[in-house]
Amino acid sequence: MASRPVRDGRGRVPTPAKLTDHEGFLRHARFRWLKVAIVLALVSLAAYLAADVTSRPNGGTWIGYTLGTVGALLIVWLALLGVRKRAMTRGRWSLKAWTSAHVYLGLSLVVVATLHTGFQFGWNVHTLAYALMIVVIASGVYGISAYATLPASLSSNREEMTQGQMLDALAAIDRQLADAAQPLPQDEADMVRAVLEQSVFRQSLRSRLTGRYPRCATQVAVDAVRPTDPEHIRLEGLLAKRKALLDKVRRHLRLKGLLEIWLYIHVPLTFALLAALAAHIVSVFFYW
Amino acid sequence: VSAALHFRLRTIETTADGREIVRDKDLPGPELTIGRSPENAVHLPDLAVEPHHARLVAADGRVRVEALGTLGFTADGSSRRNASIDLATGAELRFGAYTIGVGQALDGAVLLTVRSAANKSDIAAPDEKRSFTLAGALPGKRVTSWLLALVVLAAFLAWPVYNALNRPANGTVKGDAAWSSGPLSLAHHGLEAKCEACHAKPFEPVQDKACLTCHKTVHDHAPGVRMAGAREAPGAGGQLLQRVAHAFGKPGPGACSDCHTEHEGAGAMPATPQKFCAGCHGTLAARLSDTKLGNAADFGSAHPQFRATVTRAPGNPTLTRVSLDGQPREANGLAFPHKLHLDQAGGARRMAASMGEAARLECGGCHRPTADGVRFLPIDMERDCESCHSLVYDRVGSTFRTLRHGDIEQMRADLAASDRRAEPIVTGRRRPGEFAASGRYFSRFSAPASGAARISQALSRDGVCGECHTPAVRDGRMSVTPVVQPERYMVNGWFDHRPHRQETCASCHAAHQSSSADDVLLPGVKTCRNCHLGEGAASADVPSSCAMCHSYHPTVAAPPKQGRRVAGLAG
Repeated sequence: MASRPVRDGRGRVPTPAKLTDHEGFLRHARFRWLKVAIVLALVSLAAYLAADVTSRPNGGTWIGYTLGTVGALLIVWLALLGVRKRAMTRGRWSLKAWTSAHVYLGLSLVVVATLHTGFQFGWNVHTLAYALMIVVIASGVYGISAYATLPASLSSNREEMTQGQMLDALAAIDRQLADAAQPLPQDEADMVRAVLEQSVFRQSLRSRLTGRYPRCATQVAVDAVRPTDPEHIRLEGLLAKRKALLDKVRRHLRLKGLLEIWLYIHVPLTFALLAALAAHIVSVFFYW
Repeated sequence: VSAALHFRLRTIETTADGREIVRDKDLPGPELTIGRSPENAVHLPDLAVEPHHARLVAADGRVRVEALGTLGFTADGSSRRNASIDLATGAELRFGAYTIGVGQALDGAVLLTVRSAANKSDIAAPDEKRSFTLAGALPGKRVTSWLLALVVLAAFLAWPVYNALNRPANGTVKGDAAWSSGPLSLAHHGLEAKCEACHAKPFEPVQDKACLTCHKTVHDHAPGVRMAGAREAPGAGGQLLQRVAHAFGKPGPGACSDCHTEHEGAGAMPATPQKFCAGCHGTLAARLSDTKLGNAADFGSAHPQFRATVTRAPGNPTLTRVSLDGQPREANGLAFPHKLHLDQAGGARRMAASMGEAARLECGGCHRPTADGVRFLPIDMERDCESCHSLVYDRVGSTFRTLRHGDIEQMRADLAASDRRAEPIVTGRRRPGEFAASGRYFSRFSAPASGAARISQALSRDGVCGECHTPAVRDGRMSVTPVVQPERYMVNGWFDHRPHRQETCASCHAAHQSSSADDVLLPGVKTCRNCHLGEGAASADVPSSCAMCHSYHPTVAAPPKQGRRVAGLAG
């Protein structure tokens, strides 16, 4: 990812010791697509400012149609990443190059499409398409920042533990808990049963993404159990172990969720955007 | 009697491959307990089961079940704390995750068949890969994607298109409101939900005939041939645009929609930018060699001097347009100069001041605005002049006789019949006898005066008529030149006094310095430019496009209506 050092512009490894030649998609080919995107945005802006359009700037002037055509083609091409990423290739048209272009051209679309609107907005399908596009781009920007920062936290939280190992550890603790709870009176047995029956995964999206679980049965049990006798000492120890493990799993879930959630906006809204774009273009010429 | 009764515990476990392992164990005695604690005869290691949950007592072909703790149990599906089971029919009890079938074995023992109700698959490890992703917590991306796309397509494309294609005659298209790129101008607000009124055919740009449906009497700017000749040839880019536009069926150049853009917001329709005019008029003379119009591209920098419409010869009603450069004169038939009235040191002014009537000699004393405030009413002699310029020619007692203004024949007749004196020659001292106003021998004798002399005197330059009018001879008789008061001086542009109310009259009209009645007291383009410059002049007080003063669709000197004019709407 972008946070990792890469070779400098002349292909040398920068100081001090850089042992990987990995180059993220953001720095791909010395920011080639960033430069292309900046040029595209500047050319669009210059054309918009220079164009002496009739009445006032809007999508229906010749510069408006031009910017709109460029924008629409860009949107379709950007959406094709979803198709493209399913076929990996190397070199100039590698998936990495494609992704790099996807990011930077997607950002330049903000300029192109905003100028296309001529800053005219309203409650209509045209502004709907624009708003969807902006949300899609914003979610993409979030996605890049998530990919740049979250994986490091994710791996430090896991501490070399795989997801399978987390589940196994949890299951082991749960078996011991079930065993330890056998001699308990019913109210305490019910409390432990609630701990065992509460699913780690079947929780609200909000809890997953915030890491806050206000109705955590394990926490309830940890708070309730007092080490009064050997049975309860064992129970307390097991509950504390379970809570620590649960926290780790939940942090893992939270980070993974934050890494993924943007795609649940980015992808469906891209489809909605393509539909709104089609409606926008057809309606404009239908009622010309 | 039933001492032989005892329990047989049958546990059934299911192996991983689905095979059932059955174990039987006989328990002596007619009584046993069920619970989580190992000392129970039926030990159910389930946290939902109480340590000592229930007691079973077998007697007389029945089994009595009673709960020992706070929790009950389920017997044949219903929650109970006590149950009595007929062994002949049997029953199913449930404790936590365990079911216990109660029946009778062939040898008479009470058979308790214990199964763990929790199926192995229920507690199987969750699908690890899926559980850790959001896939389990959110609806799938693919489903959401297609669903959203379909909803958008259906609501914003398919539905309006379907309605447009199946529109009943004279019906409106439903569901197309979201297609509108912005509110219509206020004048067209009534068409807001009737897109098809203008967008008549799918994929066909708005045609002029759609506009002409309502704007029936709109005037052409000029004959089409002249317009075609006047239009500046577009550059290479412009030609390309025109070819593209024509290829897609756009009308024009010169189509209504070229100048009148819609969906720009619910205000007044935006004024047509000056470049539409300048396209022809900026260099018009170069293409239309016979044009009488000066080139005009921008009011601030390229606009010819105004030309006022005036009468050049006294009494000749023919109007001529003359440039305001070089002090134009008009023959309006009036004699008095404005300075005479307005000069602070002048006699008229002092006289009015002495009578407390100074205001009568301000501009507004005579020039009264029209009801709409756009321009001024013609000067009306009786209202505006006569309070000073009296036409009284006779007095009878306390009654004054006044000449009728505007009717020369009447005046002649009045004056001709006035050759007697109102007062008696003999006044004052009374004669003795019956010689009195009330007496028998009374007569008013007046000094003899000639009516004809009075007429010629009145019509002379120094007479009562000549005070204001230019004397003239008509049909061989003395008369005055008919007065011409132009309603509008500017016939191709229009000026509205109302927005200029905060200005003094003198800031534009140099009436105070005018010593001749023939002066055309209109301000030139230079005066206007104090505030008004071209459309793009950011520094001007009032950036002014052509449309501020000119109408593209001429209505032959028709006065502008109050507020914005609507071109060609009947009524």
